[in-house]
Amino acid sequence: MKYRLIVLLSLVFAATGLRAEIDVVDLVTRSIDQTRGLSSYAEMTMVVKRPTWERTSSLIGWTRGREDALIRFTAPARDAGNALLKQGEKMWTFNPKINRNIRLPNSMMSQSWAGSDFSYNDLSRSDKWLRHYELTLTNTEAEDGHEIYTIEAIPYEDAPVVWGKEEMVIRDDYVLIALTYYDQEMVPVKQMKSLEIGELGGRMMATRMRMLELEEPDQYTELVYQEIDFDVELEDRMFTVFALKSAR
Amino acid sequence: MSFKLVWQLSIRNILRHRRRNLMLFAAIAVAVTGVSSMNTLIRGMQYGMMDTAVENMTGHIKIHAPGYRDDPNIQKGFALDEDFEPPVPAEDMLGWAARIRIPAVIMSERETRGVQIVGVDPSAEAISFIGDVPIEGDGLESTDDGRILIGRELAIQLETEVGRRIVVITQGIDGRNREKGYRIVGTYDAEGTALEKMYVFTGLSSLQGLLDSEDVTEVSIRLVDEPKRLTFKQLLVGFFSELAVMDWLELEPMAAAMFIFADSVIYIWFALMMSALTFGLINTLITSVMERVKELGMVRALGMPKRMVLIQVVVESTIIMAVGVVIGLIGGYLVFLTIEDGINLGAFAEGMEMAGIASVLVPVLRWDDFILVAWLSLLLGILASLYPAWRAVKVQPLEAMRR
Repeated sequence: MKYRLIVLLSLVFAATGLRAEIDVVDLVTRSIDQTRGLSSYAEMTMVVKRPTWERTSSLIGWTRGREDALIRFTAPARDAGNALLKQGEKMWTFNPKINRNIRLPNSMMSQSWAGSDFSYNDLSRSDKWLRHYELTLTNTEAEDGHEIYTIEAIPYEDAPVVWGKEEMVIRDDYVLIALTYYDQEMVPVKQMKSLEIGELGGRMMATRMRMLELEEPDQYTELVYQEIDFDVELEDRMFTVFALKSAR
Repeated sequence: MSFKLVWQLSIRNILRHRRRNLMLFAAIAVAVTGVSSMNTLIRGMQYGMMDTAVENMTGHIKIHAPGYRDDPNIQKGFALDEDFEPPVPAEDMLGWAARIRIPAVIMSERETRGVQIVGVDPSAEAISFIGDVPIEGDGLESTDDGRILIGRELAIQLETEVGRRIVVITQGIDGRNREKGYRIVGTYDAEGTALEKMYVFTGLSSLQGLLDSEDVTEVSIRLVDEPKRLTFKQLLVGFFSELAVMDWLELEPMAAAMFIFADSVIYIWFALMMSALTFGLINTLITSVMERVKELGMVRALGMPKRMVLIQVVVESTIIMAVGVVIGLIGGYLVFLTIEDGINLGAFAEGMEMAGIASVLVPVLRWDDFILVAWLSLLLGILASLYPAWRAVKVQPLEAMRR
């Protein structure tokens, strides 16, 4: 009798333990924070591929917390100096040719950033958007000693989200493997895929990512991290509109 | 005695050359028919333009907060009492509506567009175009309806359809952005894609909830009689002392300019048609005077004063004109009856929409236009007869009889 109770109890514990292990909200939040840290400095290259041309540019970026970010182009010469500042929900762009900061209106947030397949929204993605979705774990599979979770995010009825659903594939070490946007007929429209995963700046992360427009096959943008440092010292003035313009 | 004589002489002179004068009647009649039926079309266009302007969310009189027109947003709103009624007698008012109308951005999976989001009480919107446009799907049900009604053209541009969700971004009462997902309840098919691309509708209370405000940005009033607008505007200015009260002419200056221009077009058109005709009339009258030189000399010799000769020619001309005008006006009325239901300009719809003209042109008959044509024609008839009459007066009895 006693033995049976123990078995029953251990079964209950096992079940709750399993559920706690896959707390989807926590999983997604951590995955978003994975490439951010308290602060970070990164060097990247971006390749924009189009059917008839291709462009490679270099960027450097700083982030602090979940709110602040600054990205600056360093090459090619034509684009060098173009920068983007994010402060919470607000964004500004800076163009050295006109020597002006331009505050991005919300209407532009879904537009393409610097001619790439990333929208400003993709860049400003933070854990805040989680409250607009119902998250469910739809699939778990093992691969190369990792658990890989597929999570479906379905926006609530009045959520400010145009997609029918978003599907995330996240590894158990919080590396985002893929993120697919579906329209409301559940046809996939856009997909971000991690092509290379490695250790950089002491963290496991996707070092090469590709954003694909699924409706236009020969068109994508790749972002490759050359270098990233986490928890670096950053001055407060770094994330100001003034710093954006003064190009430090 | 003498006027009766003049009258008889004139009539006889006209009857003497039946074929020639019939042609002249026909010419005048055709011109007058043209002018008067054209007038009904111009009036139709003019009133169509006014209706379009008024139904385009404007109404005959509209009340805004000062500054709203320069910077339309909910911060430039004003509060209305729960049981507010405009101080215009109910029998003079077709209806009134309180709305929020502010700029917004609308996004689908694939496209983003700038629009005006209008929070309405659907039961009050019989006064604007949205009250009677065909709708695919459903219309809004109540002021609490948290769904959205968009134009068909906008739905095409956004690559979306009824039942899908779209996202609207706009500015709340605190100046910060508000974002919300809306399900599309229906798409409306307005006259002209410009409207369809411009306005999206949702429930007023529901929009107030999103913006955290109890205010509205406009009250629009549609009157039974447009010309009475000035009286009621005065009344409303007194009632809403702190708000801006404007009529549609001020709110839609372009439509107003076209409206006023249409008044002049009527005269321009008249001048074009009738002046060509007048030369024909002068010519005929001169011919008829020259043919009668002998007679004129004779009557002068018999003692008819110069004044009478002059009057006789003038009367002759006036009679010709009057007969032509009467036939012409009847013709114009008949033309009006045949096109009363409107002319479909569907083929040129796009260009017409740009000018704010409806794609079905419904002529409007105004009797004062007919009377105006009649009077102006008779006046022209008299003017046209002056030169021939002067020629007739100049006839020397002696010379004339010796010919």
